[in-house]
Amino acid sequence: MRTSLNNIAQTEAYLLKRANSANALLFEAKTLLDQDLQIHVSQQQQVYSLVRQYGRKQVKAEIEAVYQQLFNQPEHLSFKQKIARLFK
Amino acid sequence: MDAVNLEEQVAERQQLFITLYQKVFPAVARYVSKCGGSFDEAKDVFQDALLSYYEKSRSADADIKSSEGAYIYGTARYLWIKRYKEGQQTTQLDDSVAADMAMETTLPLADDKLLNFLETAGKRCMELLRSFYYDQLPMTKVAQLFGFSGVRSATVQKYKCIEKVRESVKQKALTYEDFLE
Repeated sequence: MRTSLNNIAQTEAYLLKRANSANALLFEAKTLLDQDLQIHVSQQQQVYSLVRQYGRKQVKAEIEAVYQQLFNQPEHLSFKQKIARLFK
Repeated sequence: MDAVNLEEQVAERQQLFITLYQKVFPAVARYVSKCGGSFDEAKDVFQDALLSYYEKSRSADADIKSSEGAYIYGTARYLWIKRYKEGQQTTQLDDSVAADMAMETTLPLADDKLLNFLETAGKRCMELLRSFYYDQLPMTKVAQLFGFSGVRSATVQKYKCIEKVRESVKQKALTYEDFLE
């Protein structure tokens, strides 16, 4: 694997707490001395956050699609009526 | 990307959500109705509770699958009380029992724009990263889903994808700096 990808792997182990304590300490020391690395770490953290937001947005849409199915399709009419009776 | 395999994943989730909707939503709706809440309120808190359950059930140490109904009902009830009974409309799940989930339902505009961009321009990478980090599928499964010969090549691709998305984050930061200047 090329160096830049190895750096990403090391950053990942640190950020996701998969590195052992010696490696985590070494990585922390490196970030203190290297401003570019600090920026990379912060950007990689944002990548994980974006991936979570991406996944969450899609699952929310999938749940809404299931709702539309259960409340609009004729084969689920009895379920819809059962719920509707609760709010009368 | 193996579209058929990914569609199977979507179909599996759809079946799970249908089952849980039918199993747990009536109890949540009954509770909200009994307390004087509306159907829309019940729907709102139930859907967030379902999302919370999905995310919780993905983690390796999750032990909630056996009590899925209790988890979803309890979370929905908590959210309803917080959002509607106590009048704190803005309460998101991160104030709830599922605090460690850090729900980010409202994004800063810049992140939202970047996400929209990645949804189209970087879809394959985002799907791959999502499968591993969000759905927490094992790498063997990810390799199979995306048509890689093995775990190693899928892992290399995963890091390349992080690099690619990170590049977009960097570009966004540059644009933002330009804007500030």
